[in-house]
Amino acid sequence: MSAMRVDAKVVMLGKESVGKTSLVERYVHHRFLVGPYQNTIGAAFVAKPIQVGEKVITLGIWDTAGSERYEAMSRIYYRGARAAIVCYDLTDSSSFQRARFWVMELQNCEEHCKIYLCATKNDLVEGDRSLRQIDYHDAQDFAEEIGAQHFETSSKTGNNVDELFQKVAEDYNSTAFQYMTAEETGVDLGQKKDSYFYSCCHNN
Amino acid sequence: MSQRTERRGIHVDQSDLLCKKGCGYYGNAAWQGLCSKCWREEYQRVRQKQIQDDWALAEKLQREEEAAYASSHGAQTQSHPQSTAPQSHPGHASLGPFSKFEEKKTNEKTRKVTTVKKFFSPSSRTAPKKETQEGKTSSPSISRHASFDTDQVSKDFVDFLKNLQKPGREIHKQCRAFIVAMSSKKDLSADELSECVQDFYQNMADRLLSHYKGWFRRTVVVISSSDSVEQVMDQVEKYIMTRLYKSVFCPETTDDEKKDLATQTRIRALHWVTIQMLCVSMDEEIPEVSENVVKAITDVIEMDSKRVPRDKLGCITRCSKHIFSAIRITKNEPASADDFLPALIYIVLKANPPRLQSNIQYITRFCNPSRLMTGEDGYYFTNLCCAAAFIEKLDAQSLNLSPEEFERYMSGQASPRLNSSEADWPQTGTAPGVTATNTVLAQLNHNLELLSGLSSRQETLMEAAQSLQADLLSWPAGVQQEVNNILEKYPLEILPRTVSAIDANNVDTDNLPPPLTPQVFAG
Repeated sequence: MSAMRVDAKVVMLGKESVGKTSLVERYVHHRFLVGPYQNTIGAAFVAKPIQVGEKVITLGIWDTAGSERYEAMSRIYYRGARAAIVCYDLTDSSSFQRARFWVMELQNCEEHCKIYLCATKNDLVEGDRSLRQIDYHDAQDFAEEIGAQHFETSSKTGNNVDELFQKVAEDYNSTAFQYMTAEETGVDLGQKKDSYFYSCCHNN
Repeated sequence: MSQRTERRGIHVDQSDLLCKKGCGYYGNAAWQGLCSKCWREEYQRVRQKQIQDDWALAEKLQREEEAAYASSHGAQTQSHPQSTAPQSHPGHASLGPFSKFEEKKTNEKTRKVTTVKKFFSPSSRTAPKKETQEGKTSSPSISRHASFDTDQVSKDFVDFLKNLQKPGREIHKQCRAFIVAMSSKKDLSADELSECVQDFYQNMADRLLSHYKGWFRRTVVVISSSDSVEQVMDQVEKYIMTRLYKSVFCPETTDDEKKDLATQTRIRALHWVTIQMLCVSMDEEIPEVSENVVKAITDVIEMDSKRVPRDKLGCITRCSKHIFSAIRITKNEPASADDFLPALIYIVLKANPPRLQSNIQYITRFCNPSRLMTGEDGYYFTNLCCAAAFIEKLDAQSLNLSPEEFERYMSGQASPRLNSSEADWPQTGTAPGVTATNTVLAQLNHNLELLSGLSSRQETLMEAAQSLQADLLSWPAGVQQEVNNILEKYPLEILPRTVSAIDANNVDTDNLPPPLTPQVFAG
């Protein structure tokens, strides 16, 4: 059932119906389902192996409930996440405000989590420019300010979707190396300080 | 035992605490009020057969372990230089914790440890107290307390490790040493215990990883090193946590139990929350959906019965899968997190799973972290944590209700289901103030009304019956009276008798011919 080993946890954050799950669905299954009132589609958890250079990195992609009523619980979701894809809808300025909220939360609580700012529904904006409510440069400025990567994607056309996740995997791969070496020294120190093997043997 | 009771501040009469057999030792509720010695005698008598089975198994395990020990003791120095130090004096190591164990021998939890210790080192058999108390019974009787489950797990573990040959023995030794070490740390807080276990996992995984890297080239086993480490770690977790479960699940040093009760009461108080309030997209009218809902509820309740963190996670995952299929059937499309979380909350509210907080804490503390943080099980577990947190903090806003409404529902003055129920009991709706009562109260009122109606009707019936009885009683008297009256009114007169010939009254007899005279004919 959960046989797939997962290297990194990636959380999808963003307001309801910005298209978090569509994004995942497009990326994992290469499809886009249309329907009148579908805020999200697809399963909530996906493990996706990605080829990065010589290695294969498996991302565990966590979909989260975006409704405001679960806001208080959001910290439980992104605990231990290595990357967060914060989504906002290009045609909905309130979703961008909510994205700012998630970014703030992440910066406060999860310093090891890398943030990716992701605009969705780019196809709508390209069809009709007047629908755009978030200026590209505003978002870009915000992304630079928080040190995040910025992508404008469309789950319908698949535009920029693969690039986004590929970037996430590549970044993880390059940081994981530093991370692991840091962790190893940490373990060594801990072992000397308080190890049950140690205490077991030298108890008397 | 008594000391602990006093600390909790519960007043218990001293005589209640003593062994029921009157031997002077303190008894224990877990031993049906007997002391450890009497309980052992009682227990042994009843379950002689099982003891023998246990004995056989224990001996088998011990033989295997001794063989493992003998061979690995000689071999480990060359194959695992990094792990020699901890194992060099295993017998010696067991003595330390054991002296502490003696001090707490009344503690029920330590019994299991004794078993482990016996497996670990023959030296524990020479425990002076045990020998004097039990007289003729020797070491296997100690092992009978280990349940069949535990033995089965040990057996499986040994079987599994056999395939790994030398490193398997190594692993077994490490685990046993760890369990013994843990038994001496009972007084630590839950967080410290958790840290010990997590450290152990980490060390074991690191060691396995470095070992496999070297070993990999020399063996025919063609599996990636991280996969086999994972496999071994699963078995290690299963073995260790089955052994430690009793002492580390919901330990007394934490307030887990209190939280469990609080959550349980909370969920009970929220019985009125409907599927619509949570915006759950499940239609329980559809039979398949309600079937899945029932299965999900069963799974989340079953979680409490499992011992190994991974098995508990398995229950949560199964529960979640059922919820997903329920949503999929209802909506005709795959579910997302936006549908799933509310549905899970609804399931938890309906199921009210036993010891929810304890189970969450236990999994968080003692599950292998690599599984918990990233994998699919971890995802569903996180959602369960969210659901628990949501239920704890649930207020009017989170259900889209006004605070007044929420208060009314919480206090039981009103029920969101009243609107539908009024149709069923139209009489109650007419009474003033009934709108503020909930379903049950409405039904109660209705029943009360019915009852009072019935009683009044019965009263009239009784009255009528009594008057009927009175009528019946007076009726013969009345009839008698009437008869008498008539008799008085028309007294019986006996008139003088007048005899007359039949033809005397006839006036016109003259005109008639003379009456025929009978003639006699001869012949």
